[in-house]
Order: sequence, then structure tokens, then C-alpha cells
Amino acid sequence: MKKTVDVSLPIGPVHPCFKEPARIKCSTAGEHVLSAEIELGYVKKGIERIMRGRPWQEVMFLAERICGICSVIHNMVFIESVERISDIKVPKRAAYLRVIVNELDRIQSHLLANYSYCYTIEHETLAMYLLNLRETAMDQIELITGARVTCAYIIPGGVRFDLSKESEKSLLGALEKIEKDLIRYNRMFESGPLISLRSRDVGILSKEDVKESHAVGPTARASGINIDQRTNHPTYQDLGFKPIVRDSCDNYGRIMIRFDEVFQSIELIRKCLEKMPDGLIRGGGEVGAGETTWIGEAPRGELTYRVRTDEYGRIIDIAIQTPSIMNIEACGHYMLKGVDSAADVTATFISSDPCIACNER
Amino acid sequence: MFSIFCYLREFLRPEWWKKFLFVKTAPLVTPPHYRDFPVLTGNECSHELRCMMICPAPGAIEVLKNAEGKWEPVIYKGHCIRCGLCVEACPDNVLTSGDILSVNEKEKTYFLASYHLNVDDSICMRCGNCSVACPVNKEVDPQLAYTATSSSNEVIMRIKNSKLTIIHPEKCTGCKTCEEACPNHAITVARVLEGFQDED
Ligand code: SF4
Ligand code: SF4
Ligand code: SF4
Repeated sequence: MKKTVDVSLPIGPVHPCFKEPARIKCSTAGEHVLSAEIELGYVKKGIERIMRGRPWQEVMFLAERICGICSVIHNMVFIESVERISDIKVPKRAAYLRVIVNELDRIQSHLLANYSYCYTIEHETLAMYLLNLRETAMDQIELITGARVTCAYIIPGGVRFDLSKESEKSLLGALEKIEKDLIRYNRMFESGPLISLRSRDVGILSKEDVKESHAVGPTARASGINIDQRTNHPTYQDLGFKPIVRDSCDNYGRIMIRFDEVFQSIELIRKCLEKMPDGLIRGGGEVGAGETTWIGEAPRGELTYRVRTDEYGRIIDIAIQTPSIMNIEACGHYMLKGVDSAADVTATFISSDPCIACNER
Repeated sequence: MFSIFCYLREFLRPEWWKKFLFVKTAPLVTPPHYRDFPVLTGNECSHELRCMMICPAPGAIEVLKNAEGKWEPVIYKGHCIRCGLCVEACPDNVLTSGDILSVNEKEKTYFLASYHLNVDDSICMRCGNCSVACPVNKEVDPQLAYTATSSSNEVIMRIKNSKLTIIHPEKCTGCKTCEEACPNHAITVARVLEGFQDED
């Protein structure tokens, strides 16, 4: 009789098929994963500690350096919490511009997440297609804000630059291109040989597991949980935002929900451009003393900032809760459990779009 | 079978072949406010130090006297993060980087800055270093030395009754020299900043 050997299989932090500085420790029986544990803490930045005692001008730049992929939302949530503290009003045009840049950021982040998934399951053609398409979104971010990643676009009371007529035209063109190409890529993923077959029924995260593990964002929405912090945001309420939910609970669902959300973001940007009034982009107002908690929806899920400032607008205390840490919990304790082959471990991990930079803030 | 058909269709698109045979990168469009390291425009600096105060990167910008004895901002490229805030904050358009300056002029956006000084009495040991180091103090009262006990009431701060008192915080230009001169970190300069836009 063949004997099944139990082994502990470590993946990472330096591993050929897994590029992030985290370690997944799997206990396996043959190829079957019995349980998994994720070990973090290799590149801790301690950014909250650095932020304390600094004026908001510095913290604003530190905040968007927490994550190199979803920097706009960090900028937005931090500035919105400071605005809530000091009761600063934002002109309508600036509020819509914020949403436009934020949604562009979501498009590029989702495309990057799906790129890395396709890359992990070794479908490099589709991966490169998606990565190329992401550049279109990045170019638009650069055109509007002047920088690709650390754009520092949002400031208390408004935004830094207006959207010119020419930029608006190029933005609409880019959206059309993204939409047209993505329909094709979406079909490739759905119907291409073996691509989605490798993801269906792999890494199951049931609705109950989400409730236990408090997973957030697309990871939770792919398991039938209807939570999206954008529904609480005044500008998104204006736009009539409705979250997208799927219920297949597997890797396939998580990838597809990101594709769906990119289409949704394109629609949101178009609506913004339609509704955006002319006028001021900066209102003004001094940052004062107070304390607040404000939640925004990052591409990966809900992002919470708890900020306390003094009368000069300096940050006395700040606590940031990023979405990735919840999703990593869900991934380690629920999704990876019962995965059939070691090759699916990294794919499942990547499907929850883990961001080590967010975790190790 | 269907999936293989999908695949063939993907690679039989004329667009794919066109890209495959005549691949060409689109020319890079410079964004309207592309941010590079700030450079001088040639306008005269009035030594308001707003650039230094808004800069989020420690040690990135310093306003120094040049060879002709005129004030001039110096950018340290290793520290500068190219945010372009100094360009936006300068009231005299001394600096420029990419198109930020022209965009600001077109959109009439600017920053207003004021400074507040706070002294932590529990750690201040009344050495007077801050008052002596302050460039504004020195201009107002050149006699102010060592003990920082000035007879003038026009200085920003001085030691009075063996206590550091701040008399004219509104004269502060926000250069943070006092902060650097204090051995105990007892004095801190807070920058208060507002972003504004004029209506036309
Ligand atoms: S803000 Fe402008 S005028 Fe003021 S010190 Fe800096 S460069 Fe000179
Ligand atoms: S561009 Fe930004 S970081 Fe560089 S000197 Fe100016 S304010 Fe400082
Ligand atoms: S920051 Fe300090 S040294 Fe500089 S002008 Fe103000 S009080 Fe003087």
C-alpha cells in the first residue's frame, strides 16, 4: 500500500513562484493542503509611528506611500478625515474629480491583481494583455494628476489640478479602449482553454467563512456579501452606486468580480464627467483640532483611518486599518484549507489580491 | 472545442497581426503639469520661506544667500520627492517644475500659509538659543546676543523674567531655525496652510 507522507511545505518569503515577502506554511498530505498559516513581518515600515507629531502636509505624502498600488485611496481617506475634523467643505467639481481619479486607480489596481493571478497560473499571454491595458489607465492618472503613483492629488478643500477639455477627451478615449479590450480579455478568461478551469472550485471561501474572518472588498463580495463602503460616500450616493456581488465563492469568482468592477468603474467615471459642474476646484479652510474615524473603499476592501489632530493641524495620533490584513486572514485560515494541489496554493493566495505593503504599513 | 476556436479567433484578428508585425510604441505625451525637480525661473526671491515650510520632504529645500548676496532656494535632489508644492506655494514664482506654474496661474490656485509658535515650558530651559538664532529677531535687534534678553518689544520672542515669551508670532516666516537651534525640542513651529482658488 502506498503511504501518504505529511510534510510541512513552506512557500516564500523568497520563492520562485511567489514574489511577495510573506511566508505560507502549508501542512500537506500528499498534494492536499490540510491547513495553512501565513507569516508576515519581514518588511515592517512602522509608518503610523513616523506619522505621529507631523503636520498634515507631511502625513499626506506618507499616507499615499503606504501602498504603491492603491495610493489614491489612502490620500483620499486621509484628507477626507482631516476635512471632517475641521469641517472643510469641498466644491462639487473637486468632489467629482476625486471620484474620477479614485476609480481610475481602482481600474489599474484590479487589472494588476488579475494580471498577477493569470501570471501565477502561467497564462502569460493574458497576463501581459492585462498589464498592457493597465498602462492605459496609468497614463490617464498621470495626465490628470501629473504623476503615476504618488500623485498627492487631493488636498484639504479640493484637488490640485483641474481636468482640462483635452484631458477629458483623452480620458473618454482611454475608457473606450479599456472597455473594448477588456470585453475580449474577459471572454478569453471565461472561455479560454483551461484558464478558468484551473480556478473553478479552488480556494472556496463560503459566506459563513467571510463572516468569521471578516474578509472585505472583492474577496467578500465574490462570496455573496453585499458590503461596499462606497455606498456610504456622499459623492458615490449622488452617482447612484450599487455594489456588485457574485456567489461562486472560488478563485474564479474573485477574478470575475474584479473584471465586473472595472466595467462598473468605467461607467462611474462616465457619469462623473457628465454630471461634473464647472467652477472652483479649491475651497480653502484651515485644518483644526479633533478626532474622527472615516472609512473608504480601497480596491481591496474597506480602509479605515482614525485620526486625531491638534489645533495646528498636526497629527497627534493615527491608526490605519488596511483591507489586506483581513483578506490574508481569510486566505490563510479558510481559502487555502483543502486546496488540492500545491500549485494552487499561490494562485489561491494571489486571487485574494494580497498586498504586503498595506499589511506591513 | 469551442475554447480552441476562441483561441484561434484571438490570434487571427488582423489587429493582432498588425501589432505583431509593426509594433510601435505610442509617443509619450507629457502631462500638463509634469513634475520634475524644481528649477529657478529667475524671479527674485523675497525670502518668505513658504517653499521651505510647505515642503514635506525633510531637508529637500533650503533658502540660502548666493554669491551676489541675494536669497535663493536650493533643491537637494536626493531628498526632493518632486511633489511640486514649493512651486505652488511661492508667492513670487521663483520656482518652476514642468507646467505646474502655468497651470496654477491659469486656474488661479495658491496656498496661504501662516505659522504658529508653541513653547513647551516644562522642557524649555531658557537658554535663549532660539531667540538668538532667529533671523527675524537678529534683523530687528542686532544687539540681541547670548542671553536673548532684548530691550526691544519688536522681536518675535525673547527671554523675559527668565521665561521665554513670544511677543510677535505673526512676524515669523516659518524657517524653523529656532526648532533646529533648541537643544531640547522645546519650541515647535506649526504651519497652518490653506489651499485657495480665486473666482473669476
Ligand atoms: S517661497 Fe519663494 S520667495 Fe519665499 S523663500 Fe521660497 S523661493 Fe523665496
Ligand atoms: S518639489 Fe516638493 S519635495 Fe521637492 S523641494 Fe519642492 S516641496 Fe520639497
Ligand atoms: S521659525 Fe523660528 S527662527 Fe524662523 S522666523 Fe520663525 S521664530 Fe524665527
